[in-house]
Amino acid sequence: MSKTGSTQPSERQLSLLVTVLAFALPVVFVLVPLAIFLVYSFFGVDQGTIVYAPTLGNYVRFFTDPIFLPVFWNTIVLCVSVAAICILLAYPAAYFLATLKGRWRYALLMLLLVPLLMSYVIKIYAIRSILGLNGFLNKALVALGILQQPSTLFVFNMNAILLTLSLLLIPFAILPIFLSLERIPQTLLRASDDLGASGWQTFLRITLPLSLPGVASAASFVFVLAIGDFLTPQMVGGISGFTFGRILYSQFGTAYNWPFGAALSVALAMVVICAILIGERFGRSRGTSL
Amino acid sequence: MNALPRPSTIFLAAITTLVAVLLYSPLFVPIVSSFFTISQGNVDWSSPTLSTYAALAENHDILAALRTTLIVGVCTVILSVVSGTLLALYYHGRRSGRSFLQFIIFLPFLMPPIISGLALLIFFREIGLERSLLTVVIGHTVFVLAIVYRTVLMRLQSMSRTLVEASYDLGATGWQTFWRIILPNLSSAMVGGAILAFALSFDETMITILVTGTQSTLPVRLWAMMRLGFSPDINALVALILMFTVLLCVLAARFLIPRQMATERT
Repeated sequence: MSKTGSTQPSERQLSLLVTVLAFALPVVFVLVPLAIFLVYSFFGVDQGTIVYAPTLGNYVRFFTDPIFLPVFWNTIVLCVSVAAICILLAYPAAYFLATLKGRWRYALLMLLLVPLLMSYVIKIYAIRSILGLNGFLNKALVALGILQQPSTLFVFNMNAILLTLSLLLIPFAILPIFLSLERIPQTLLRASDDLGASGWQTFLRITLPLSLPGVASAASFVFVLAIGDFLTPQMVGGISGFTFGRILYSQFGTAYNWPFGAALSVALAMVVICAILIGERFGRSRGTSL
Repeated sequence: MNALPRPSTIFLAAITTLVAVLLYSPLFVPIVSSFFTISQGNVDWSSPTLSTYAALAENHDILAALRTTLIVGVCTVILSVVSGTLLALYYHGRRSGRSFLQFIIFLPFLMPPIISGLALLIFFREIGLERSLLTVVIGHTVFVLAIVYRTVLMRLQSMSRTLVEASYDLGATGWQTFWRIILPNLSSAMVGGAILAFALSFDETMITILVTGTQSTLPVRLWAMMRLGFSPDINALVALILMFTVLLCVLAARFLIPRQMATERT
Protein backbone atom coordinates (compact mmCIF):
# COMPACT_ATOMS: atom_id res chain seq x y z
CA MET A 1 0.00 0.00 0.00
CA SER A 2 1.77 3.05 -1.26
CA LYS A 3 -0.26 5.66 0.57
CA THR A 4 1.02 4.67 3.98
CA GLY A 5 4.20 6.68 3.37
CA SER A 6 6.76 3.91 3.34
CA THR A 7 10.37 4.88 3.75
CA GLN A 8 12.19 1.86 2.36
CA PRO A 9 13.60 2.55 -1.11
CA SER A 10 12.47 -0.80 -2.53
CA GLU A 11 8.92 -0.10 -1.49
CA ARG A 12 9.07 3.35 -2.97
CA GLN A 13 10.30 1.94 -6.28
CA LEU A 14 7.56 -0.61 -6.22
CA SER A 15 4.93 2.00 -5.55
CA LEU A 16 6.28 4.07 -8.44
CA LEU A 17 6.06 1.03 -10.69
CA VAL A 18 2.52 0.37 -9.52
CA THR A 19 1.60 3.99 -10.20
CA VAL A 20 2.97 3.85 -13.72
CA LEU A 21 1.21 0.55 -14.38
CA ALA A 22 -2.04 1.77 -12.89
CA PHE A 23 -2.09 4.65 -15.32
CA ALA A 24 -0.52 2.91 -18.29
CA LEU A 25 -2.78 -0.13 -18.47
CA PRO A 26 -6.12 1.58 -18.98
CA VAL A 27 -4.63 4.36 -21.06
CA VAL A 28 -2.70 2.12 -23.47
CA PHE A 29 -5.33 -0.54 -23.96
CA VAL A 30 -8.51 1.51 -23.80
CA LEU A 31 -7.93 5.19 -24.39
CA VAL A 32 -5.28 4.93 -27.10
CA PRO A 33 -7.27 2.44 -29.23
CA LEU A 34 -10.39 4.59 -28.96
CA ALA A 35 -8.40 7.70 -29.85
CA ILE A 36 -6.85 6.02 -32.90
CA PHE A 37 -10.31 4.82 -33.85
CA LEU A 38 -11.64 8.37 -33.67
CA VAL A 39 -8.75 9.66 -35.79
CA TYR A 40 -9.42 6.90 -38.35
CA SER A 41 -12.90 8.26 -38.90
CA PHE A 42 -11.32 11.33 -40.50
CA PHE A 43 -9.31 9.30 -43.02
CA GLY A 44 -10.43 8.18 -46.44
CA VAL A 45 -10.08 5.11 -48.64
CA ASP A 46 -8.84 5.02 -52.18
CA GLN A 47 -9.08 1.75 -54.09
CA GLY A 48 -8.82 -0.45 -51.07
CA THR A 49 -6.02 1.37 -49.29
CA ILE A 50 -6.41 3.82 -46.47
CA VAL A 51 -5.47 7.42 -47.25
CA TYR A 52 -3.99 9.09 -44.21
CA ALA A 53 -5.17 12.62 -44.98
CA PRO A 54 -7.76 14.35 -42.80
CA THR A 55 -11.19 14.65 -44.37
CA LEU A 56 -14.77 15.06 -43.27
CA GLY A 57 -15.90 12.90 -46.19
CA ASN A 58 -17.06 9.98 -44.06
CA TYR A 59 -19.35 12.13 -41.97
CA VAL A 60 -20.67 13.97 -45.02
CA ARG A 61 -21.42 10.60 -46.59
CA PHE A 62 -23.20 9.39 -43.48
CA PHE A 63 -25.49 12.43 -43.39
CA THR A 64 -26.13 12.80 -47.12
CA ASP A 65 -26.30 9.24 -48.44
CA PRO A 66 -29.98 8.16 -48.48
CA ILE A 67 -29.10 4.71 -47.09
CA PHE A 68 -27.49 5.36 -43.75
CA LEU A 69 -29.67 7.83 -41.85
CA PRO A 70 -32.91 5.83 -42.34
CA VAL A 71 -31.23 2.60 -41.21
CA PHE A 72 -29.71 4.46 -38.27
CA TRP A 73 -33.11 5.83 -37.29
CA ASN A 74 -34.89 2.49 -37.79
CA THR A 75 -32.31 0.79 -35.62
CA ILE A 76 -32.85 3.32 -32.85
CA VAL A 77 -36.62 2.77 -33.07
CA LEU A 78 -36.07 -0.99 -33.04
CA CYS A 79 -33.90 -0.84 -29.93
CA VAL A 80 -36.31 1.48 -28.12
CA SER A 81 -39.05 -1.08 -28.87
CA VAL A 82 -36.83 -3.87 -27.55
CA ALA A 83 -36.31 -1.88 -24.35
CA ALA A 84 -40.06 -1.31 -24.04
CA ILE A 85 -40.90 -4.99 -24.50
CA CYS A 86 -38.22 -6.02 -22.01
CA ILE A 87 -39.53 -3.59 -19.39
CA LEU A 88 -43.16 -4.60 -19.88
CA LEU A 89 -42.19 -8.21 -19.17
CA ALA A 90 -39.52 -7.53 -16.58
CA TYR A 91 -41.44 -5.10 -14.37
CA PRO A 92 -44.18 -7.54 -13.27
CA ALA A 93 -41.59 -10.28 -12.81
CA ALA A 94 -39.32 -8.03 -10.74
CA TYR A 95 -42.32 -6.88 -8.70
CA PHE A 96 -43.32 -10.46 -8.05
CA LEU A 97 -39.78 -11.29 -6.91
CA ALA A 98 -39.79 -8.31 -4.58
CA THR A 99 -43.00 -9.49 -2.92
CA LEU A 100 -41.44 -12.86 -2.10
CA LYS A 101 -39.81 -13.49 1.23
CA GLY A 102 -36.37 -14.71 2.19
CA ARG A 103 -34.62 -17.38 0.27
CA TRP A 104 -37.18 -17.71 -2.54
CA ARG A 105 -36.64 -14.15 -3.62
CA TYR A 106 -32.95 -14.61 -4.39
CA ALA A 107 -33.29 -18.14 -5.70
CA LEU A 108 -35.87 -16.98 -8.26
CA LEU A 109 -33.84 -13.89 -9.10
CA MET A 110 -30.85 -16.12 -9.76
CA LEU A 111 -33.02 -18.41 -11.89
CA LEU A 112 -34.06 -15.48 -14.08
CA LEU A 113 -30.52 -14.11 -14.35
CA VAL A 114 -28.62 -17.33 -15.05
CA PRO A 115 -29.64 -17.51 -18.75
CA LEU A 116 -27.53 -14.37 -19.24
CA LEU A 117 -24.35 -16.34 -18.83
CA MET A 118 -25.33 -19.02 -21.31
CA SER A 119 -23.93 -19.19 -24.77
CA TYR A 120 -25.15 -16.23 -26.78
CA VAL A 121 -24.66 -17.85 -30.18
CA ILE A 122 -26.52 -20.99 -29.16
CA LYS A 123 -29.42 -18.97 -27.80
CA ILE A 124 -29.73 -17.03 -31.06
CA TYR A 125 -29.67 -20.29 -32.99
CA ALA A 126 -32.29 -21.90 -30.76
CA ILE A 127 -34.56 -18.84 -30.90
CA ARG A 128 -34.26 -18.85 -34.68
CA SER A 129 -35.37 -22.45 -34.80
CA ILE A 130 -38.30 -21.64 -32.48
CA LEU A 131 -39.39 -18.72 -34.68
CA GLY A 132 -38.87 -20.54 -37.97
CA LEU A 133 -41.43 -21.97 -40.38
CA ASN A 134 -41.26 -25.40 -38.72
CA GLY A 135 -40.61 -23.90 -35.34
CA PHE A 136 -42.47 -24.22 -32.09
CA LEU A 137 -44.10 -20.78 -32.28
CA ASN A 138 -45.78 -21.52 -35.60
CA LYS A 139 -46.86 -24.97 -34.44
CA ALA A 140 -48.40 -23.49 -31.30
CA LEU A 141 -50.20 -20.71 -33.17
CA VAL A 142 -51.60 -23.16 -35.72
CA ALA A 143 -52.66 -25.56 -32.97
CA LEU A 144 -54.44 -22.72 -31.16
CA GLY A 145 -56.22 -21.82 -34.36
CA ILE A 146 -54.75 -18.31 -34.46
CA LEU A 147 -52.97 -19.04 -37.72
CA GLN A 148 -54.33 -21.14 -40.58
CA GLN A 149 -50.91 -22.27 -41.69
CA PRO A 150 -47.30 -21.69 -40.56
CA SER A 151 -46.16 -18.17 -41.27
CA THR A 152 -42.79 -16.74 -42.18
CA LEU A 153 -43.68 -13.59 -40.30
CA PHE A 154 -41.33 -14.32 -37.41
CA VAL A 155 -38.04 -15.11 -39.03
CA PHE A 156 -35.56 -13.33 -41.32
CA ASN A 157 -37.04 -9.87 -40.93
CA MET A 158 -37.22 -6.97 -38.46
CA ASN A 159 -39.82 -8.78 -36.30
CA ALA A 160 -37.39 -11.61 -35.79
CA ILE A 161 -34.69 -9.21 -34.62
CA LEU A 162 -37.14 -7.50 -32.29
CA LEU A 163 -38.32 -10.76 -30.73
CA THR A 164 -34.88 -12.33 -30.48
CA LEU A 165 -33.21 -9.31 -28.90
CA SER A 166 -36.07 -8.93 -26.41
CA LEU A 167 -35.79 -12.55 -25.42
CA LEU A 168 -32.03 -12.29 -25.01
CA LEU A 169 -32.04 -9.07 -23.00
CA ILE A 170 -34.95 -9.46 -20.52
CA PRO A 171 -32.64 -10.38 -17.60
CA PHE A 172 -30.80 -7.08 -18.01
CA ALA A 173 -34.11 -5.31 -17.35
CA ILE A 174 -35.12 -7.49 -14.41
CA LEU A 175 -32.09 -6.80 -12.24
CA PRO A 176 -32.14 -2.97 -12.03
CA ILE A 177 -35.93 -2.88 -11.60
CA PHE A 178 -35.76 -5.50 -8.86
CA LEU A 179 -33.00 -3.58 -7.07
CA SER A 180 -34.97 -0.33 -7.15
CA LEU A 181 -38.12 -2.07 -5.89
CA GLU A 182 -36.17 -3.76 -3.13
CA ARG A 183 -34.78 -0.43 -1.97
CA ILE A 184 -38.23 1.08 -1.33
CA PRO A 185 -38.63 1.32 2.46
CA GLN A 186 -41.41 -0.85 3.85
CA THR A 187 -42.42 2.01 6.15
CA LEU A 188 -43.59 4.10 3.19
CA LEU A 189 -45.89 1.35 2.00
CA ARG A 190 -47.23 0.77 5.49
CA ALA A 191 -47.77 4.50 5.99
CA SER A 192 -49.72 4.65 2.74
CA ASP A 193 -51.76 1.67 3.84
CA ASP A 194 -52.43 3.25 7.26
CA LEU A 195 -53.60 6.45 5.62
CA GLY A 196 -56.27 4.48 3.85
CA ALA A 197 -54.86 4.11 0.37
CA SER A 198 -55.90 1.03 -1.58
CA GLY A 199 -53.24 -1.37 -2.82
CA TRP A 200 -53.59 0.04 -6.31
CA GLN A 201 -53.27 3.65 -5.08
CA THR A 202 -50.16 2.73 -3.10
CA PHE A 203 -48.67 1.15 -6.18
CA LEU A 204 -49.42 4.11 -8.45
CA ARG A 205 -48.37 6.84 -6.02
CA ILE A 206 -45.55 5.25 -4.01
CA THR A 207 -44.09 2.14 -5.57
CA LEU A 208 -44.22 3.09 -9.24
CA PRO A 209 -42.64 6.56 -8.89
CA LEU A 210 -39.92 5.23 -6.60
CA SER A 211 -39.09 2.37 -8.96
CA LEU A 212 -38.83 4.57 -12.06
CA PRO A 213 -35.06 5.08 -11.62
CA GLY A 214 -34.67 1.32 -11.93
CA VAL A 215 -36.83 1.35 -15.04
CA ALA A 216 -34.66 4.10 -16.53
CA SER A 217 -31.46 2.13 -15.86
CA ALA A 218 -33.05 -0.99 -17.28
CA ALA A 219 -34.12 0.83 -20.43
CA SER A 220 -30.68 2.29 -20.99
CA PHE A 221 -28.95 -1.08 -20.39
CA VAL A 222 -31.19 -2.92 -22.81
CA PHE A 223 -31.04 -0.18 -25.43
CA VAL A 224 -27.25 -0.01 -25.39
CA LEU A 225 -26.85 -3.78 -25.58
CA ALA A 226 -29.42 -4.05 -28.37
CA ILE A 227 -27.98 -1.31 -30.54
CA GLY A 228 -24.45 -2.65 -30.34
CA ASP A 229 -25.43 -6.17 -31.35
CA PHE A 230 -24.50 -7.23 -34.86
CA LEU A 231 -24.69 -11.01 -34.43
CA THR A 232 -28.44 -11.27 -33.82
CA PRO A 233 -29.51 -9.16 -36.83
CA GLN A 234 -27.04 -11.03 -39.00
CA MET A 235 -28.42 -14.37 -37.90
CA VAL A 236 -32.18 -13.82 -37.75
CA GLY A 237 -32.61 -10.66 -39.82
CA GLY A 238 -32.29 -12.17 -43.28
CA ILE A 239 -32.11 -9.64 -46.13
CA SER A 240 -34.83 -7.24 -44.99
CA GLY A 241 -33.70 -6.96 -41.38
CA PHE A 242 -30.88 -4.54 -41.92
CA THR A 243 -29.59 -2.76 -38.84
CA PHE A 244 -26.90 -0.22 -38.18
CA GLY A 245 -24.69 -2.76 -36.44
CA ARG A 246 -24.70 -4.92 -39.57
CA ILE A 247 -23.76 -2.03 -41.85
CA LEU A 248 -21.00 -1.09 -39.43
CA TYR A 249 -19.68 -4.64 -39.28
CA SER A 250 -19.75 -4.97 -43.06
CA GLN A 251 -17.40 -1.98 -43.39
CA PHE A 252 -14.75 -4.13 -41.77
CA GLY A 253 -15.60 -7.19 -43.80
CA THR A 254 -17.10 -7.20 -47.27
CA ALA A 255 -17.23 -3.44 -47.86
CA TYR A 256 -13.71 -3.01 -46.46
CA ASN A 257 -13.84 0.66 -45.62
CA TRP A 258 -12.34 1.00 -42.15
CA PRO A 259 -12.38 4.80 -41.95
CA PHE A 260 -16.06 4.93 -42.89
CA GLY A 261 -16.76 2.15 -40.39
CA ALA A 262 -14.97 4.22 -37.77
CA ALA A 263 -17.19 7.21 -38.58
CA LEU A 264 -20.29 5.02 -38.26
CA SER A 265 -18.96 3.82 -34.90
CA VAL A 266 -18.63 7.41 -33.75
CA ALA A 267 -22.29 7.96 -34.63
CA LEU A 268 -23.19 4.79 -32.73
CA ALA A 269 -21.08 5.86 -29.76
CA MET A 270 -22.90 9.21 -29.65
CA VAL A 271 -26.28 7.49 -29.38
CA VAL A 272 -24.92 5.09 -26.76
CA ILE A 273 -23.45 7.93 -24.69
CA CYS A 274 -26.79 9.77 -24.84
CA ALA A 275 -28.62 6.63 -23.72
CA ILE A 276 -26.20 6.05 -20.85
CA LEU A 277 -26.42 9.70 -19.74
CA ILE A 278 -30.23 9.64 -19.85
CA GLY A 279 -30.21 6.38 -17.90
CA GLU A 280 -27.80 7.89 -15.39
CA ARG A 281 -29.78 11.12 -15.07
CA PHE A 282 -33.11 9.43 -14.39
CA GLY A 283 -31.59 6.31 -12.86
CA ARG A 284 -30.58 8.08 -9.65
CA SER A 285 -32.92 7.01 -6.95
CA ARG A 286 -34.53 9.84 -5.04
CA GLY A 287 -36.17 9.70 -1.68
CA THR A 288 -35.64 6.00 -1.07
CA SER A 289 -33.08 6.52 1.66
CA LEU A 290 -34.81 6.90 4.97
CA MET B 1 -43.45 -5.19 -0.33
CA ASN B 2 -46.90 -5.48 1.12
CA ALA B 3 -48.98 -8.57 0.68
CA LEU B 4 -51.02 -8.18 -2.45
CA PRO B 5 -54.62 -9.03 -3.12
CA ARG B 6 -54.94 -12.47 -4.67
CA PRO B 7 -55.85 -11.78 -8.31
CA SER B 8 -52.88 -9.48 -8.80
CA THR B 9 -50.56 -12.02 -7.20
CA ILE B 10 -51.77 -14.64 -9.63
CA PHE B 11 -51.31 -12.23 -12.53
CA LEU B 12 -47.76 -11.38 -11.43
CA ALA B 13 -46.88 -15.02 -10.88
CA ALA B 14 -48.23 -15.84 -14.33
CA ILE B 15 -46.08 -13.15 -15.98
CA THR B 16 -43.03 -14.31 -14.02
CA THR B 17 -43.63 -17.88 -15.17
CA LEU B 18 -44.01 -16.66 -18.74
CA VAL B 19 -40.70 -14.79 -18.49
CA ALA B 20 -38.98 -17.87 -17.08
CA VAL B 21 -40.39 -20.02 -19.89
CA LEU B 22 -39.29 -17.45 -22.49
CA LEU B 23 -35.80 -17.33 -21.01
CA TYR B 24 -35.37 -21.06 -20.74
CA SER B 25 -37.04 -22.28 -23.92
CA PRO B 26 -34.03 -21.43 -26.12
CA LEU B 27 -31.88 -23.45 -23.72
CA PHE B 28 -34.37 -26.29 -23.59
CA VAL B 29 -34.32 -26.88 -27.36
CA PRO B 30 -30.66 -27.96 -27.68
CA ILE B 31 -30.76 -29.98 -24.45
CA VAL B 32 -33.75 -32.02 -25.62
CA SER B 33 -32.18 -32.47 -29.02
CA SER B 34 -29.03 -33.79 -27.43
CA PHE B 35 -30.93 -36.86 -26.16
CA PHE B 36 -33.59 -37.29 -28.83
CA THR B 37 -33.68 -37.21 -32.60
CA ILE B 38 -35.52 -34.28 -34.11
CA SER B 39 -36.67 -34.31 -37.70
CA GLN B 40 -38.74 -31.57 -39.34
CA GLY B 41 -39.37 -29.91 -36.00
CA ASN B 42 -40.90 -33.03 -34.47
CA VAL B 43 -39.21 -34.67 -31.53
CA ASP B 44 -39.02 -38.44 -31.57
CA TRP B 45 -39.52 -39.08 -27.86
CA SER B 46 -39.50 -42.85 -28.17
CA SER B 47 -35.78 -43.46 -28.42
CA PRO B 48 -33.47 -41.51 -26.15
CA THR B 49 -29.86 -41.79 -27.22
CA LEU B 50 -26.41 -40.74 -26.13
CA SER B 51 -25.03 -40.98 -29.65
CA THR B 52 -24.67 -37.21 -29.91
CA TYR B 53 -22.28 -37.29 -26.97
CA ALA B 54 -20.24 -40.03 -28.60
CA ALA B 55 -20.13 -38.02 -31.82
CA LEU B 56 -18.97 -34.98 -29.88
CA ALA B 57 -15.95 -36.87 -28.56
CA GLU B 58 -14.96 -37.51 -32.19
CA ASN B 59 -15.38 -33.91 -33.32
CA HIS B 60 -11.77 -32.71 -33.16
CA ASP B 61 -12.57 -29.36 -34.65
CA ILE B 62 -14.92 -28.47 -31.81
CA LEU B 63 -12.67 -29.93 -29.15
CA ALA B 64 -9.78 -27.83 -30.41
CA ALA B 65 -11.97 -24.73 -30.22
CA LEU B 66 -12.98 -25.70 -26.71
CA ARG B 67 -9.34 -26.05 -25.72
CA THR B 68 -8.56 -22.64 -27.20
CA THR B 69 -11.45 -21.12 -25.26
CA LEU B 70 -10.17 -22.60 -22.01
CA ILE B 71 -6.64 -21.31 -22.65
CA VAL B 72 -7.94 -17.85 -23.43
CA GLY B 73 -10.21 -17.96 -20.36
CA VAL B 74 -7.43 -18.92 -17.98
CA CYS B 75 -5.03 -16.28 -19.36
CA THR B 76 -7.77 -13.66 -19.19
CA VAL B 77 -8.59 -14.57 -15.60
CA ILE B 78 -4.96 -14.37 -14.49
CA LEU B 79 -4.33 -11.05 -16.23
CA SER B 80 -7.60 -9.44 -15.19
CA VAL B 81 -7.47 -10.57 -11.57
CA VAL B 82 -3.89 -9.42 -11.09
CA SER B 83 -4.35 -6.07 -12.79
CA GLY B 84 -7.88 -5.54 -11.48
CA THR B 85 -6.77 -6.15 -7.90
CA LEU B 86 -3.71 -3.92 -8.27
CA LEU B 87 -5.84 -1.16 -9.75
CA ALA B 88 -8.42 -1.49 -6.99
CA LEU B 89 -5.70 -1.37 -4.33
CA TYR B 90 -4.17 1.62 -6.03
CA TYR B 91 -7.34 3.66 -6.41
CA HIS B 92 -8.86 2.73 -3.08
CA GLY B 93 -8.73 5.76 -0.84
CA ARG B 94 -7.09 7.86 -3.53
CA ARG B 95 -8.95 10.80 -4.96
CA SER B 96 -6.71 12.39 -7.60
CA GLY B 97 -7.36 11.09 -11.08
CA ARG B 98 -9.44 8.23 -9.78
CA SER B 99 -12.78 9.05 -11.34
CA PHE B 100 -11.20 9.67 -14.73
CA LEU B 101 -9.20 6.45 -14.81
CA GLN B 102 -12.11 4.54 -13.36
CA PHE B 103 -14.21 5.87 -16.22
CA ILE B 104 -11.62 4.56 -18.70
CA ILE B 105 -11.64 1.14 -17.07
CA PHE B 106 -15.42 0.97 -17.33
CA LEU B 107 -15.55 2.20 -20.94
CA PRO B 108 -15.04 -1.16 -22.70
CA PHE B 109 -17.73 -2.65 -20.53
CA LEU B 110 -20.22 0.17 -21.17
CA MET B 111 -19.48 0.66 -24.87
CA PRO B 112 -21.01 -1.77 -27.33
CA PRO B 113 -18.52 -4.61 -27.92
CA ILE B 114 -18.42 -3.77 -31.60
CA ILE B 115 -16.83 -0.41 -30.78
CA SER B 116 -14.29 -1.82 -28.29
CA GLY B 117 -13.51 -4.65 -30.69
CA LEU B 118 -13.02 -2.44 -33.73
CA ALA B 119 -10.93 0.07 -31.77
CA LEU B 120 -8.66 -2.77 -30.64
CA LEU B 121 -8.55 -4.22 -34.15
CA ILE B 122 -7.26 -0.93 -35.56
CA PHE B 123 -4.93 -0.48 -32.60
CA PHE B 124 -3.34 -3.92 -33.11
CA ARG B 125 -2.91 -3.18 -36.79
CA GLU B 126 -1.29 0.19 -36.08
CA ILE B 127 1.23 -1.26 -33.62
CA GLY B 128 1.86 -4.19 -35.95
CA LEU B 129 0.57 -6.92 -33.68
CA GLU B 130 -0.68 -9.89 -35.70
CA ARG B 131 -4.14 -11.13 -34.80
CA SER B 132 -3.69 -14.23 -32.67
CA LEU B 133 -4.68 -15.68 -29.35
CA LEU B 134 -2.67 -12.91 -27.68
CA THR B 135 -4.91 -10.24 -29.18
CA VAL B 136 -7.97 -12.22 -28.11
CA VAL B 137 -6.65 -12.42 -24.55
CA ILE B 138 -5.96 -8.67 -24.52
CA GLY B 139 -9.45 -7.98 -25.84
CA HIS B 140 -11.08 -10.19 -23.22
CA THR B 141 -8.97 -8.75 -20.41
CA VAL B 142 -9.85 -5.19 -21.32
CA PHE B 143 -13.51 -6.23 -21.44
CA VAL B 144 -13.72 -8.08 -18.09
CA LEU B 145 -11.30 -5.87 -16.15
CA ALA B 146 -14.11 -3.59 -15.00
CA ILE B 147 -15.92 -6.50 -13.35
CA VAL B 148 -12.91 -7.72 -11.38
CA TYR B 149 -11.88 -4.18 -10.47
CA ARG B 150 -15.34 -3.31 -9.20
CA THR B 151 -15.76 -6.56 -7.24
CA VAL B 152 -12.43 -6.12 -5.46
CA LEU B 153 -12.94 -2.39 -4.88
CA MET B 154 -16.34 -2.99 -3.27
CA ARG B 155 -14.80 -5.51 -0.91
CA LEU B 156 -11.97 -3.10 -0.07
CA GLN B 157 -14.47 -0.37 0.70
CA SER B 158 -16.48 -2.60 2.98
CA MET B 159 -13.31 -3.70 4.77
CA SER B 160 -12.85 -1.96 8.05
CA ARG B 161 -9.94 0.50 8.17
CA THR B 162 -9.27 -0.47 11.76
CA LEU B 163 -7.94 -3.85 10.60
CA VAL B 164 -5.13 -2.20 8.66
CA GLU B 165 -4.48 0.31 11.42
CA ALA B 166 -4.32 -2.43 14.04
CA SER B 167 -1.83 -4.30 11.89
CA TYR B 168 0.43 -1.22 11.68
CA ASP B 169 0.02 -0.52 15.40
CA LEU B 170 1.20 -4.02 16.12
CA GLY B 171 4.38 -3.26 14.19
CA ALA B 172 3.72 -5.01 10.90
CA THR B 173 5.37 -3.61 7.77
CA GLY B 174 3.42 -2.61 4.69
CA TRP B 175 4.18 -5.96 3.05
CA GLN B 176 3.19 -7.98 6.09
CA THR B 177 -0.06 -6.06 6.35
CA PHE B 178 -0.70 -6.66 2.69
CA TRP B 179 -0.02 -10.42 2.75
CA ARG B 180 -1.56 -11.20 6.09
CA ILE B 181 -4.47 -8.76 6.41
CA ILE B 182 -5.52 -7.26 3.11
CA LEU B 183 -5.05 -10.16 0.72
CA PRO B 184 -6.85 -12.79 2.84
CA ASN B 185 -9.76 -10.38 3.21
CA LEU B 186 -9.90 -9.85 -0.54
CA SER B 187 -9.46 -13.47 -1.55
CA SER B 188 -13.13 -14.41 -1.83
CA ALA B 189 -13.89 -11.26 -3.84
CA MET B 190 -10.95 -12.13 -6.11
CA VAL B 191 -12.18 -15.68 -6.60
CA GLY B 192 -15.72 -14.46 -7.29
CA GLY B 193 -14.39 -11.88 -9.75
CA ALA B 194 -12.25 -14.55 -11.39
CA ILE B 195 -15.24 -16.83 -11.91
CA LEU B 196 -17.30 -14.01 -13.41
CA ALA B 197 -14.37 -13.04 -15.63
CA PHE B 198 -14.00 -16.62 -16.80
CA ALA B 199 -17.72 -16.95 -17.52
CA LEU B 200 -17.70 -13.72 -19.54
CA SER B 201 -14.57 -14.71 -21.42
CA PHE B 202 -15.97 -18.16 -22.11
CA ASP B 203 -18.96 -16.72 -23.93
CA GLU B 204 -17.46 -13.54 -25.39
CA THR B 205 -18.28 -13.53 -29.09
CA MET B 206 -18.42 -10.07 -30.60
CA ILE B 207 -15.02 -8.72 -29.59
CA THR B 208 -13.45 -12.11 -30.30
CA ILE B 209 -14.82 -12.27 -33.86
CA LEU B 210 -13.14 -8.93 -34.57
CA VAL B 211 -9.72 -9.54 -33.03
CA THR B 212 -9.18 -13.27 -33.51
CA GLY B 213 -6.65 -14.74 -35.87
CA THR B 214 -6.73 -18.22 -37.35
CA GLN B 215 -7.44 -20.04 -34.09
CA SER B 216 -11.02 -19.49 -33.07
CA THR B 217 -12.64 -19.85 -29.69
CA LEU B 218 -15.75 -21.95 -29.21
CA PRO B 219 -18.38 -19.19 -29.64
CA VAL B 220 -16.68 -17.98 -32.81
CA ARG B 221 -16.42 -21.53 -34.12
CA LEU B 222 -20.12 -22.09 -33.38
CA TRP B 223 -20.94 -18.79 -35.05
CA ALA B 224 -19.12 -19.89 -38.18
CA MET B 225 -20.87 -23.27 -38.14
CA MET B 226 -24.30 -21.77 -37.55
CA ARG B 227 -24.63 -20.48 -41.11
CA LEU B 228 -24.59 -24.04 -42.37
CA GLY B 229 -26.68 -25.45 -39.55
CA PHE B 230 -25.40 -27.48 -36.64
CA SER B 231 -24.62 -31.15 -36.58
CA PRO B 232 -26.42 -33.00 -33.75
CA ASP B 233 -23.29 -33.34 -31.64
CA ILE B 234 -23.32 -29.56 -31.10
CA ASN B 235 -26.45 -30.05 -29.01
CA ALA B 236 -24.53 -32.38 -26.73
CA LEU B 237 -21.85 -29.73 -26.41
CA VAL B 238 -24.46 -27.12 -25.56
CA ALA B 239 -25.97 -29.31 -22.86
CA LEU B 240 -22.53 -29.80 -21.33
CA ILE B 241 -21.70 -26.09 -21.52
CA LEU B 242 -24.98 -25.18 -19.85
CA MET B 243 -24.30 -27.54 -16.96
CA PHE B 244 -20.81 -26.10 -16.63
CA THR B 245 -22.18 -22.54 -16.64
CA VAL B 246 -24.73 -23.31 -13.94
CA LEU B 247 -21.91 -24.70 -11.85
CA LEU B 248 -19.90 -21.50 -12.38
CA CYS B 249 -22.89 -19.36 -11.37
CA VAL B 250 -23.44 -21.28 -8.17
CA LEU B 251 -19.74 -20.96 -7.35
CA ALA B 252 -19.70 -17.23 -8.11
CA ALA B 253 -22.76 -16.68 -5.91
CA ARG B 254 -21.08 -18.55 -3.06
CA PHE B 255 -18.01 -16.36 -3.16
CA LEU B 256 -19.67 -13.03 -3.86
CA ILE B 257 -22.66 -12.99 -1.51
CA PRO B 258 -21.31 -12.08 1.92
CA ARG B 259 -21.55 -14.88 4.43
CA GLN B 260 -23.62 -12.90 6.99
CA MET B 261 -26.19 -11.98 4.36
CA ALA B 262 -26.59 -15.59 3.30
CA THR B 263 -27.26 -16.77 6.84
CA GLU B 264 -29.47 -13.79 7.59
CA ARG B 265 -31.83 -14.75 4.82
CA THR B 266 -32.33 -18.32 5.91
